[in-house]
Formats: sequence, C-alpha cells, structure tokens
Amino acid sequence: MPRIDQVESVFRSAVRDIFIYQRVRFQRILVLTDLDVDKATGFGAACRAFLSNDDGGDSAEWRTLHGDEFNGIDGMLGQIEQQRPDLICTYRNLHSRAWRYPHSLGMYLDVLLQDIDTPVLVMPHPEANYAAEHALRDRDTVMVVTDHLNGQHQLVNHGAALTEAGGSLILSHIEDERIFERYIEAIGKIDTIDTDNARERLRHQLLKEPSNYIASCIARLAAADVELSVEALVTFGRHLPEYKSLIRSRHIDLLVMNAKDDDQLAMHGLAYPLAVELRQIPLLVL
Amino acid sequence: MEPNPHHVPLGITLLFTALLTAMIIALALEEKLHARKSVIVGVFAIGCLLLGSALGLMPFGDIILPGGHQLHMPIYIEAVDWEVIAIIVGSSLFVDVTLRSGLFSWVAIKLTKASAGDPLKLLWYYGVMTVMFSAALNNVTAMIIVGSLSVVSLERLERHHLLLGFLLIEGLLTNIGGLLTLISSVPNIIVGNAASIGFVEFFLKSSPYVLVATVFTLWLGARLFGIHGLRDEAERTKATTLVAGFDENDGIHSRGFFRFAAFALVAFILAIATTSITPVVRDLGMGFVAMGFAVMMLIRYKSEADQFFKAVDWDLILFFMSLFVVINVMEHAEVLTLIGSGVRWLIGAGQSVGGVASLLLSSALFSSVTDNIPLAAMLAKILAAQQIPGESSLWWAVVFGANLGGNITPIGSASTLVAVTLIHKHGLSLSFGGFVRKAAPYALAQIALAVGYVLVVL
Repeated sequence: MPRIDQVESVFRSAVRDIFIYQRVRFQRILVLTDLDVDKATGFGAACRAFLSNDDGGDSAEWRTLHGDEFNGIDGMLGQIEQQRPDLICTYRNLHSRAWRYPHSLGMYLDVLLQDIDTPVLVMPHPEANYAAEHALRDRDTVMVVTDHLNGQHQLVNHGAALTEAGGSLILSHIEDERIFERYIEAIGKIDTIDTDNARERLRHQLLKEPSNYIASCIARLAAADVELSVEALVTFGRHLPEYKSLIRSRHIDLLVMNAKDDDQLAMHGLAYPLAVELRQIPLLVL
Repeated sequence: MEPNPHHVPLGITLLFTALLTAMIIALALEEKLHARKSVIVGVFAIGCLLLGSALGLMPFGDIILPGGHQLHMPIYIEAVDWEVIAIIVGSSLFVDVTLRSGLFSWVAIKLTKASAGDPLKLLWYYGVMTVMFSAALNNVTAMIIVGSLSVVSLERLERHHLLLGFLLIEGLLTNIGGLLTLISSVPNIIVGNAASIGFVEFFLKSSPYVLVATVFTLWLGARLFGIHGLRDEAERTKATTLVAGFDENDGIHSRGFFRFAAFALVAFILAIATTSITPVVRDLGMGFVAMGFAVMMLIRYKSEADQFFKAVDWDLILFFMSLFVVINVMEHAEVLTLIGSGVRWLIGAGQSVGGVASLLLSSALFSSVTDNIPLAAMLAKILAAQQIPGESSLWWAVVFGANLGGNITPIGSASTLVAVTLIHKHGLSLSFGGFVRKAAPYALAQIALAVGYVLVVL
C-alpha cells in the first residue's frame, strides 16, 4: 500500500517552475559617482560604452551625478526619487577611501541595494586598478549567479537583456557542498534513514530542479527569438572559489545576482560576500 | 470444517456474543486505544480460540483432501479464507509495483492539465478518477493518489481554500467507486465469493448506481462547497500557465516498463473479470490471478523485491487472518446462528421490501461506526447458512450497506480516514461531528438512492 507522503512526493516532484520571458529595457539610466565633474563624466562614458548595443541602452536617457550633487544618504535617495531611473550605475565605497581595502561595499551601496527596487550595476572602482584584464570590454559572456535558480525569472530576464547578441548566458546554480555534507552527516546518525540512499536521492533532487528550470529558460528564450546561447552550470561546490575560478577561466564579463531577501533587512546571504569580493568585473545586483 | 455436533448452551453463546461485541467496540475505538486493528483482533482471536478449545467447542482433527488424503492442519490455519488473503496480497503488490512505473501519476497529471486549471473541471475529473481508481485498485490507494494530487495541484493553483471540499468529496466517492467491481473492496470480495457472484455480473449490476451516485455527489459537492469555473480570461491564462508546470513524464523512469505496466493493468482487470469462465484458471481462483500478476510485475524489480514485501500492509493482512479465526470460533459457539435469527427477524420471510431495506440500512449504520469487513464476513456466513440464493437482493443489500455506511462517519471506512488524515495534515480543521454534518447530505442521499435501486432494479 503506498503511503500518503510517498505519493505526495511523486506529484511534488512533477511540478516544474517554467521560465516566463519578459523583455527588459532600460530607458532612464542614472550614473551615481562621488567624483568631480570631469572624472564623473569619464566614468559615465565608461558605463555607457559598457552598456552600448544593449537592449535599449543606446536610446536610453542618461544622467550622471557627480560628488557635489548629493549630500549624504538622504540626498542620494532624494535624487533617485526625483530621477526615477530603471538602472543605476555606481561603484563601491562612495565618498570614502575604504575602496582600498576589499572588505566592504560602503554605506551608500549598502542602502542602495536594500532600500530601492531599481537594479544596480556595480562597476569596478574607477580609481582602483583591480579590474580584470578582460573587464568592461564587452558583454559576450554573462553569468547569472544564485544558490536557488528555480523561478528566478527576473534574474534570467536581466541576464538575457545584458548579454550581447550572439553571446553566452551562463545560468549557474551552485549548491553549497559543505552544507549538504553537514545534513548528510546528521542523516548518518538517524537509524531510520538509509544514508547512502539519502545522499544519492537528495543530491539528484537538488540538481534536478535548477536543471529543469534552465531547460525551460532555453526553450522560452529560443521561442522569443532572443539571440544568445544559454549554458547550464549546475553543480555542488563552494560559491566564492567556484565563481572566482569561473570569472578567470571563462572570462566572465558581468555577473547578475539577487541581493534582496524577503525575510531580512540585510543583504541576501550569498550576495554580500560575492558583492564584496568579486570586484574584478561589473555586477548587476537586483 | 466439520459442523459442531454438540448443542451449545445459551450461556456460552451469550458469552461469546459479548466477546464479539467487545471486539467490535474496540475496533470502533481503535484511534482512542492507540492500537492497530491487527493487534486488537489478534488478542480476541487468541482469547476466543483458547476459550473455545477449553469449552470443547472446536472440532479438532485431520482434514480430508480431494483424493482421500488426510492432512493435519492447525485449526487456526483452516479457519482462514486464504482466497481472500491471496487476492489482497496479490492486488496490493501488483498496485505497488505498477505505481513505480509512473502510470497512475501520468494519468492523474494528464487529467490535471486537461482541466486547464479550472477548479470545477478539476473536481469532475478528479471525482471520476477517484471512482475509476477505487474500482480498479482499491479505495485506500485511490484516495492516497487522488488526494495527494489534489493537495499539490490546488497548492500550485493557489486555491488552498478549496482543499477541504475536494478531499471530502473524493473520500465519499471512494466508497461509491468501491461498489463498481467485485475486487474494488473487501466486502465485495467476501460477499461475492459467498454468493458466487461473478466479476462481470457484479459490474453490470452495480455500474448504473455508481454512475448516478457519482454524478449526484459531484453536482452537490460543487454547489455546497462553492466550487466554480474560472470567471475571466485573466484567470484562465494564469491557471493554464500554472498547470503547464506539471510534467506527467517525471515519474516515468523507463518507457518500456511504463508501457508494460499499462498493458499489465488492462490484462489484470481482464483476467480477474474472466476468472470464473477461463478453463484451468477458474479452478485456481482469483487469488491465484492476483498473486500471478504480482509476481510477474516483481520480475522488473527482482533484486529489490523485498522492498515491496516490506510495503505490504501487514496490519490489514493479520487483521483479516485473526478476524477469520474469530468468526470461525463464533460459528462454533453458535453466535452466528443467534445473530442469524435476528437477521431472519429483520428481513422477514422471503424477500420483503421492508426486509431488504432494513438489512441495507442496518448494514450501513453498523459499518459507519466500525469496520465493514467483520460485518460483511459475518452477514455473508449468516446468509450462506440460510441458503439464500446468489440472485437474491439481500446479498446486494449487504454490499451496498457495508460500502456506503463508510460515508456516514470519518471512521466508517479506511479511505475516508485517509481523507481526514490528509485534511488534518494540511492544516484544515474537521472534527468527527464536523465530518458527519458535512457528509450527511451526500451519505443520506446515496443510501436512499441505494435502497431504491436495490429494491427496484436488483
């Protein structure tokens, strides 16, 4: 006789999150800097060059704010409220010299990423020289970064919008190996659960869901005639080392990630260390 | 089994009647006692057998096989109806292995997608599926499959508030579906065997009632629980997108085995239906057919067959075996004769309208508070002892009463108990009284319809 839980699991496993494609266009772009007018204009031009040829970027209305145009966090939020941009381009540690130490985002970016819904393109600091050699040249390899890809339509839509025509969009989902091993270790101490079976089935299930979602992304993007190739990267590992290695080996031009977490005021758990440490290339943070 | 040549004093018969009553009360209080059916009836079986033997009621001795061979067999072995046990074990193994093929989830998800997420269509599709699965498998498995799917799909469609109505209606429909074929429920098997009613005859006689009762239950359910169709295009588009996320192929791990399972299921139903007319097989019986198909399916999982044996409902099997022993002792203690005289009084002489109706109603009432299997087993013995012919509507009164009584209370049948378990598991509140109040309009109408049907048609 089948058990209720057993049959419910069969049906739950059959439910897929299907990707919903929605074209993303940036019509008003705000460049936020702490630089003087000349340098701010130069940084704005670099942002514009990086986003050129994107879907709407060339025809977008650009506005660059230099350091004297806003004072404090309230001033910054006031400017954003006034401009109502679709995208904000900025960098870490505004109005601070802390960019010399790779340990924080700075209070402006902290508030910006949590307090407003507008996507933020975090560029390498204009005065630092830590940008990767391949950074800011083009956007032919864009990677979506998450530890839970299922149902993240906005993340994929933004990744697709910022990938150059004919480029590669890598949809990555990395399950934390250490957390997984900790659960398996706990399961290993429970006599009613077969540990080997649990390891095998859990590993399979955790990778199956994002793989299915990526399959639906590939199908829906192709159906919408979006000119890019989608690659799946679904694996177990440790986030930071894996992403650092991929940025180097695959010459990733842009990372797209989520920063908000409905359950907390602070940044989403995975996003903060990535945003602090992956300084070599631009990040689009939603 | 040799008949007991001795006259049993009335005091002893009353003592055993009290024991039988105590067992039935204990079964009704199964949840309160925190004891499984098998343990409750097992304790009574051992007690009754010891007492019956001590009082000299039990006829010990060898049994004579066809061909004149003498065989020594313990009395508690020969008391068991092994044909019934073989049908239950074989069918449940067959269903468990077939479930692994992904066949039932494929059918269930296909129907979900065909509904395009419309709650009213979903109710009708799931209702019909409940009846068909109850008929082809058994009502508990049907409730588990359709109930679990209802939970997942209503969650997906963001219509959790309709779950109580869906689960309750499906629970009630399992007992309607349980009337459709001879193997759909255990009372059918017991009564069908005792009255020599064949599979095809059973189906032809019960299916018109099942059709009408199903349509009525779904119509009333939709009205009383406010289950409507989708109202506008926006709702339809959203629902269609949400159900499109179901993948019917997810549970299919081997296309070959999926096709084989579909073929085997059809073959199983045909083989069971034609057992009584197929040469050689008719001598081996339905139990052989069920066990044969179970073994055939297990070949696919030959290295892990033990996993399926572990999944067999041993509580149910040991409950049956113990129950047969108890009934055997009751027969020798002349308890069944005593109850039989009560039943004779109830049904009157011949087949009066009042008699048939009374038997159906009292069977329904009895099976609403305790297990319908002891009732069916006991009444089958009593009617057989009174040499009631197989074509008599009294047999059908027992079948309809025993099955439909399960819809009066949540403990009336195993499948309504599964429905209530699912309701509670998903955070909905439904008390015993709440179930009775909500189920009453359906149960009363179904029983009234059954009385009319048995009297007029059968």
